[in-house]
Amino acid sequence: MTQDQTNLLQGTLDMMILKSLALDQMHGLGISRRIEQITKGTFQVKPGSLFPALHRMEEEGWLVSSWGESENNRRAKYYRLTKAGRRQLESETERWGRISLAIARALEAC
Amino acid sequence: MAREQTDRDLDAEVRSYADLLAQENIREGMSPQEARRKAILELGGVEQVKQGVREVRAGASLDSFLQDLRYAARMLRRNPGFTAITVLTLALGIGASTAVFSLVNTILLKPLPYSDAETIVMPVRLAPLSLNLGYEELNWGLPESQLLIHQSKAFQSVGVLKNDSFNLTGAGEPALLDGIRASAGFFPTIGVAPVLGRAFTTEEDQPGHEHETILSYRLWLDRFGGNPDILGRSVELNASAYTVVGVMPPGFVFPRGEDMPAAFHFPRESQLWVPLALPATKVHREDPDELSVIARLRPGISLAQAQAEMNVFAKTQERQNPGGQGWFNSRVTPLARVVAGDTRRPLILILSAVCVVLLIACANIASLLLTRSLARRKEFSVRAALGAASRRIIRQLLTESLLLAATAGFLGILITQAGIYLVKIFGPSNIPRLAEVGLDFRVLAFAIGITLATGILFGLAPAVGASRCDLVESLKEGGLRSSGSGAGQRLRKTLLVSEVALAVVLVVAAGLLLQTFLHLLSVDPGFNPSRVLTFELSLPDSKYQDTAHIVSLYRTLLDRLQSVPGVQAVGIVKTVPMGGATDGSGIRFTEDPPRDSRQLAYSNFVVGSPGFFSAVRTPVLRGRDFLETDVLESAPVAIINSAMAGKYWPGQDPVGQHVGLGSKRYPLMTVVGVVADIKHLSFREEPGPEIYVPFTQKSYPSLLTMQVVLRTKSDPTAITASARDAIHSVDADLPLAAVTTLDALVDTSMSQPRFSVLLLGAFAALALLLASIGLYGVISYSVAQRTREIGIRIALGAQRRAVLAMVLREGVGLALFGIAIGVAVALAVTQTLAAFLYGVRPADPVTFVTVSIVLLGVALAASYIPARRATRVDPMVALRHD
Repeated sequence: MTQDQTNLLQGTLDMMILKSLALDQMHGLGISRRIEQITKGTFQVKPGSLFPALHRMEEEGWLVSSWGESENNRRAKYYRLTKAGRRQLESETERWGRISLAIARALEAC
Repeated sequence: MAREQTDRDLDAEVRSYADLLAQENIREGMSPQEARRKAILELGGVEQVKQGVREVRAGASLDSFLQDLRYAARMLRRNPGFTAITVLTLALGIGASTAVFSLVNTILLKPLPYSDAETIVMPVRLAPLSLNLGYEELNWGLPESQLLIHQSKAFQSVGVLKNDSFNLTGAGEPALLDGIRASAGFFPTIGVAPVLGRAFTTEEDQPGHEHETILSYRLWLDRFGGNPDILGRSVELNASAYTVVGVMPPGFVFPRGEDMPAAFHFPRESQLWVPLALPATKVHREDPDELSVIARLRPGISLAQAQAEMNVFAKTQERQNPGGQGWFNSRVTPLARVVAGDTRRPLILILSAVCVVLLIACANIASLLLTRSLARRKEFSVRAALGAASRRIIRQLLTESLLLAATAGFLGILITQAGIYLVKIFGPSNIPRLAEVGLDFRVLAFAIGITLATGILFGLAPAVGASRCDLVESLKEGGLRSSGSGAGQRLRKTLLVSEVALAVVLVVAAGLLLQTFLHLLSVDPGFNPSRVLTFELSLPDSKYQDTAHIVSLYRTLLDRLQSVPGVQAVGIVKTVPMGGATDGSGIRFTEDPPRDSRQLAYSNFVVGSPGFFSAVRTPVLRGRDFLETDVLESAPVAIINSAMAGKYWPGQDPVGQHVGLGSKRYPLMTVVGVVADIKHLSFREEPGPEIYVPFTQKSYPSLLTMQVVLRTKSDPTAITASARDAIHSVDADLPLAAVTTLDALVDTSMSQPRFSVLLLGAFAALALLLASIGLYGVISYSVAQRTREIGIRIALGAQRRAVLAMVLREGVGLALFGIAIGVAVALAVTQTLAAFLYGVRPADPVTFVTVSIVLLGVALAASYIPARRATRVDPMVALRHD
């Protein structure tokens, strides 16, 4: 486990989770591993923050969950994006794009 | 339940995560134990993870609820007019129905304040149907009471009681006290023990040993200063010594006259109790039946079983008393039901009426909310487009309507309290148990229940309507002036039609009751109540035993009273009109009564004096009034009422005919006059046959208690003092009791129908107002929606009058539809009102037509304002409108 943990910006975790679910449904560990993989290990999501986020997003109506079988025949809970979740991902992506562009410009200006 | 399920699910999810992690570790080459340990470590503790999720979940739902609430509050604040109207309408509806429910709760639902009150019953003797007395309850006789006490198996205890009055002397001013003679079983049956001292023993309930008394708390305070030394002391009642053995708890005044059938003649409140001491020996059947029975069901015995036993009892009695067929039937009624008495049905009627008003109010508010939700479609569409789930929007709308309802409910409870206060002050005094009425948990539960129900009821329609809206369409339309909200308008029209229909039903019911009331006011009761003072005299039997003595006392009294300045006429009578039920008796027309007493006719029987009929202005239709010369030594005479003349001597002159009481012990009398029928209990009764006899010729029933009537030149109450002086000049120890005027008695007898008609009238007016507001709203909205169309019509040359007519037609059409449905429903509903009506049929065409026209008029007026607005539409503005 890496000791230097980049603190996730508020809302960034949501975006990551939405993004990792964009292609297919996934269980908790899958999401965690997927985020590690796409950020090349920069972000490691611990269950203590992953599960509350998943449940909060389900409550918001962005995700739905269902029980299913894992790759090696273990029972696991799978999460899937809803239409609202997909829209949320789009608007988050767009917002993030604006913010990162703005920050990049601000830093260049100096 | 749901929470536990979620928790188990969460547990399984976290465990499966750990499982998968361990598998992963095994694949990387760890030993199973090591893999498991690492997995748990990485998880950071199953419980901590679960707690984190729980916090998020609870936080999220609370958070979104608070957010909904804040948003709802903001929306309501932003439309103060809308909010005020809605809250006020609903608060009135909730307040009125809760106030009515608080009456229903106390009178019909709450058990009486006695221990195990639901097992206390009254076997009430029923009059044979053929008698047509105007009431059906009869008193029991002595033999039946004794049998019930000693032989009944269904009853654990039986109490027999009889009203009596007691002249209290030797403790301040002489006072006439209303009291009850009660058998030893009375106190165990009612289940209330004295706060001081003890109840009567069986030994004290024997003739000759009955000189004990138990005082009411109030009497003990008022007359004996609440001194606990009263126990064992002797008081003077009817000029004999009675030992006080007990004092009842505060508030115990059973039986309260207003809670009991009028036919039982119970006093308004019982002030003391004395042992009944029924003689054990066989008594004459001819003695008057004047006993009432209360009983407590044996544990495990049902009302039906007790009734079955009483039915067997009736059969046995009929067998043993030849000719007594039909005279021993009874109905075992729970005491609470007896107490609720005649108020039961009017209360249910009023409760239904107020619920109808509440429904109309709900329909109105639903319609208003629907309009608003249509206007807010764009807002919802934007929220939906931004990702709000449709259940979030429904929840938002329900939060708004529940917030409205809750505010109204809170106000409504305040209105309820005001309403209860008003009923206690202005309502009829003869509502049973009125003092007990108040806000208890059941009333509050009712208020909260209807608040929630109404909130959901009027909130759901617009909420579902809003959630179903098509995003793209409504975003394009842009709201109010769209044609796409046809579904909403259809729903509003349906609501409106039902509102109008409900209002028709209510107004028809109120109209019928109003007509009933007016008929009652104009009915001829057979007497003229204005300017008549009346009071009760009760002679102590220890001082006045001899009939001749009593008669001469009344004669002197009548003379003295006649000479009181301001008195026009004076008389005495056993029962004044509207003062209660009269005595009744079997009668015969020939010297020998028919051998089979089944053929005995029955008649009311009233003792009166010369002057009584002129004092109450009852016209003598034939023959003559009583005369001073009708005395014991002269031929016995009787005056009959015209109902009796019509029943027994149709087409003949009854004057000169003979009539007598059912037993040969009483002489046959000659009919000397016929008077108009006097109503005794209420103006709606159909008077039965009645015989009057002069007090100078009769000793049956006892003359000890008589009512005095004084017709005066001006204010009757002004001569009370001089009347009292006149009486005290003859006997200084004679108290005047129940001093009142005939007008007041009539007023009391009218108070219940007046109360019903006032309440129902108020509710009907409210329903009419709400329905017209609803109609105004729907038509205004429809005009606003069609502004463009109207503009085109005007631009193309339509006359303003034609536009006016078009809009009015819409309003009137809707109203007619509602009226038609309402009339059909009312025709069915008013059949159940038949028992409340007098002088008007349930399907009275005048009422129905009038109500329809009134509603149509209201509909026209309500549509006229928006119609005028439509004619002023400027085509240019309308066409430029988006």
